[in-house]
Amino acid sequence: MHIDCTINGNERTFEVSKTDLLLDVLRRDGYTGAKRGCDTGACGMCAVQIDGEPAMSCVTPVVKVDGATIETIEGLGTQDDLHPVQQAFVDNSALQCGFCIPGMIMRSKALLEENPSPSEAEVREALSDNLCRCTGYKKIVEAVLDASERMADRGVAADGGRSSDRGDDCRCAGATGKTGPDSRGETRR
Amino acid sequence: MTDPDDPKPDGGTASRSERESPEFEDHPLEWDEPENNDLEPDERASVSRPAQKDDDPKLVTGQAKYTADYEQRFPDLAHAAVVRSEIPHGYVTDVDASAAEGMDAVHAVLTPWSEETPDAKYTSAGQSYPEPSPWDMNVLNDHVRYVGDPIAAVAADDAETARTAADSIEVEYEEDDYVLDPEEAYSEDAPRLFDDDEVENEIVGHDYSRNRMSRIDGEIGDVDDALERDDVHVHETEWETIRQSHAQIEPHTSLAYTDEDDRHVLVTSTQVPNHTRRQLAHLFDIPIRDIRVSKPRVGGGFGGKQAMVVEPIPLALSLAADRPVIYEATREEEFHAMRSRHPMNVRARTAVTEDGSIEAIDLYALSNTGAYGSHGMTVAGNVGSKPMPLYSKVPNARFEADIVHTNTPQTGAMRGYGAPQGTLALEGHLDEVARDLDLDPVEFRQRHYMEVGDLDEIAGMMGGEGAERRIRSCGLDECIERGKEAIGWDALEQPDEEHRHRGIGMALSAQGTGVAGDELGAAQLMMNEDGSFHLHVGGVDIGTGADTAFIQIAAEVLGCEETDIVIKSSDTDVTPFDYGAYASSTTYISGMAVKKAAEDAKGRILYWGSKLLEEPESNLDTGDGTVYSEETGASVSLEEIGYEAAYGHDEREHILGKGTHCTEESPPPFAAQFADVTVDEETGEFDVNKLVVAVDCGVAINPGMAEGQVEGANHMSYEMAVCEGITFDDEGRAEVTSFDEYDWPTAAETPTIESILVETHEPTGPFGAKSVAEVPTNTVPPALSNAIREAVGVRITDMPITAAKIKSALEADD
Ligand code: FES
Ligand code: FES
Repeated sequence: MHIDCTINGNERTFEVSKTDLLLDVLRRDGYTGAKRGCDTGACGMCAVQIDGEPAMSCVTPVVKVDGATIETIEGLGTQDDLHPVQQAFVDNSALQCGFCIPGMIMRSKALLEENPSPSEAEVREALSDNLCRCTGYKKIVEAVLDASERMADRGVAADGGRSSDRGDDCRCAGATGKTGPDSRGETRR
Repeated sequence: MTDPDDPKPDGGTASRSERESPEFEDHPLEWDEPENNDLEPDERASVSRPAQKDDDPKLVTGQAKYTADYEQRFPDLAHAAVVRSEIPHGYVTDVDASAAEGMDAVHAVLTPWSEETPDAKYTSAGQSYPEPSPWDMNVLNDHVRYVGDPIAAVAADDAETARTAADSIEVEYEEDDYVLDPEEAYSEDAPRLFDDDEVENEIVGHDYSRNRMSRIDGEIGDVDDALERDDVHVHETEWETIRQSHAQIEPHTSLAYTDEDDRHVLVTSTQVPNHTRRQLAHLFDIPIRDIRVSKPRVGGGFGGKQAMVVEPIPLALSLAADRPVIYEATREEEFHAMRSRHPMNVRARTAVTEDGSIEAIDLYALSNTGAYGSHGMTVAGNVGSKPMPLYSKVPNARFEADIVHTNTPQTGAMRGYGAPQGTLALEGHLDEVARDLDLDPVEFRQRHYMEVGDLDEIAGMMGGEGAERRIRSCGLDECIERGKEAIGWDALEQPDEEHRHRGIGMALSAQGTGVAGDELGAAQLMMNEDGSFHLHVGGVDIGTGADTAFIQIAAEVLGCEETDIVIKSSDTDVTPFDYGAYASSTTYISGMAVKKAAEDAKGRILYWGSKLLEEPESNLDTGDGTVYSEETGASVSLEEIGYEAAYGHDEREHILGKGTHCTEESPPPFAAQFADVTVDEETGEFDVNKLVVAVDCGVAINPGMAEGQVEGANHMSYEMAVCEGITFDDEGRAEVTSFDEYDWPTAAETPTIESILVETHEPTGPFGAKSVAEVPTNTVPPALSNAIREAVGVRITDMPITAAKIKSALEADD
């Protein structure tokens, strides 16, 4: 059967079987950023965003994403121009083997879109579906908190006239407890 | 140069009598340190600076390639699935694979009797040659010894078809009695796992009539004599550790194909490419030169990949199917058929005088090596030889271990490598002794622990003659001092509720850095005409950041930017030989090889600099991408040198450097762990408020990475203290088959971990470095047990520490 979806801004059509899982379809198509750590939805290595929500692609039947908008790690920054969440992971030494990182970053990005200035406990809670065996989580949590500040700063700049070309950034931008009136994150703009 | 009469900055002096003793001549404190190794912090341009990890941009954008990501490059790739034993012990009498063989998309089916299945015995342990592990297994086994033993393998178009085909294979068994408990296994009437003729390369102390694959022991002084003295108390405690899973996030994955030159290529997630190549050559009877093992990014190893666990299967299948084959272990297989930490019972005994002087330490370990013996003897050896040297001032010491087989999955190397088991026993025991004697547990330890200048004879006790080591760097005092301060040792406030009590426990640890006398790392450096470099290293980065550390070491010597160095590591066709990433050796051994290669290249660079600047080489040094003269201030860029060397008129040279490093040294890093806990005496529930671990790793080549290693290791150590590990039902079936069942602490369940790096200078290491990543794996179980003892007075000796155990201990106390 056919499914149509948007992946990282590109409209795509796939020929799939009913039982195919999203992770397999993505990886077959060269989106190998999402990793396979368990195949049972228990580790978060395969996390992507579907219509803005974090989802484990290894347990998502591909038929479910017909018509959906999917974002994978490949759709964030490039190596020369990292997304603030990616940059925060690098700057905080928050990754070692890196196998969990695409999932962590997609999950963190989803968290920050929903809650632009989370507390440490909220970050830890949100990341509890994403396992990491290398870091002990400390630096990852620090990176997410740092990313929250960076995205807020970037939002202020955008408010000040430098426009960001990424819609997803704008959603978080300017919406932290520090810069916005509402810590739940309705944008100030 | 070090003057042994001078007090060391990090404590301790060598006494005159020591220096005159023969041991001191064999193991002098003075160390002929290579040039420029001892840089002050403000002289370091790359080392000790927070350089960005070389592969980070690739990793955070999902562009880094792990083994499974190579699938795309092989259109005719087949996927493997393995048929594993359903019974804990017995013989395979028949395998009916006809259904699988008849399936369209199936390309090969192998059984223990197939022509393409290697029939040589081997060990999966990825160790140096000859392996100190018995050759006791086959790639596919007809004598099966645990639920999960591989019997048959299939290659098919995709993973799902391969699984379906594997499931269609019918196996008939003749079942045998089995034994799961190590103590039962170690009796003469237990079911036997091995006949003598089923094992090659047997290990010292083996006695297969009692399922013992090895027995080891060592002693200094006379322990029995000390235990029997009138003026001592003998204290005895027993400890039990879990079967911990490596749970590295990337499963064991390996892809095999034969290239256009008829050479067999393995792209594989391994810590030991060179050992794997040698082992495959042995199994398949292929010359080493015709096998290429290449390691892409690796998603964690922690010792689980210091083993050739899966590689032979895709190679055999690819030969049989005549196409590339990938084998990716499932998460379920990770838990029941890959490797785990050896669970152990460890007994600690000490003889202590009334005034608190330890006269003897006696440790005994019973180690459960599971169905096969990989790493069994060497891991058990480290139960004694890593923690006991901490107390090298104790005059009498003994360590003994029996390593026995049970019908449970295979154990193997795991971060800490025996030290966690020994550290729990020794540090829990000493804490208990201090309490018995009403002594301060820290002061009690300080009276006995090692200092700079000490000769560690206990390392020699287990390692054989000549394995003693001189302690040239030791930051234990500072680790304790800073750890105490960070945990709030002197200002502990009790909770308001009367039934809740707070306590702090502490534990010390020592490890090694590499295996003394059994290591080799090598590196090559070549200069491009634009002044950039290619660094080829056999050393293996399994996610620790080793590649970045190598680059920093080379950049420090060459005086260039880190970004001017392109690294290629761990491809046996391209990179020089290396023993692999284990035993905390990477930065120390392979890093020193890199330093030597860089010094070698630097020599040629200075030669060309001297030609161009017309000044003697002795005036010149490298820095900021140039060769400059300390006399005149004149300089020439590395780029100019690169072009001149490549295209010069009168003389030309490709500037190359090489370095090889082997050593008899294995300096210990040290750690002091603190755990702050609040326990509810009504329910036994406890909150770990904070973990602090201070580590003396010598000079941290990259402090951010080193802290990450410490925090990750401490988390793994915490897991060992509170998680049940892999458990089995009565038939030896692993009860843990998924991450949900393997209940290790998530981000929300992990206490705050504070890591403190205590800088010392280890003269035998590159720029003063020793190891960092293992020592903090050892310390949380004893520190937590000690903290709970401090808080509510009960002692938990068998891991994991649970509320139920605390509650029942409290009830038993009443
Ligand atoms: S691979 Fe999808 S959650 Fe583990
Ligand atoms: S960095 Fe290795 S699993 Fe997270």
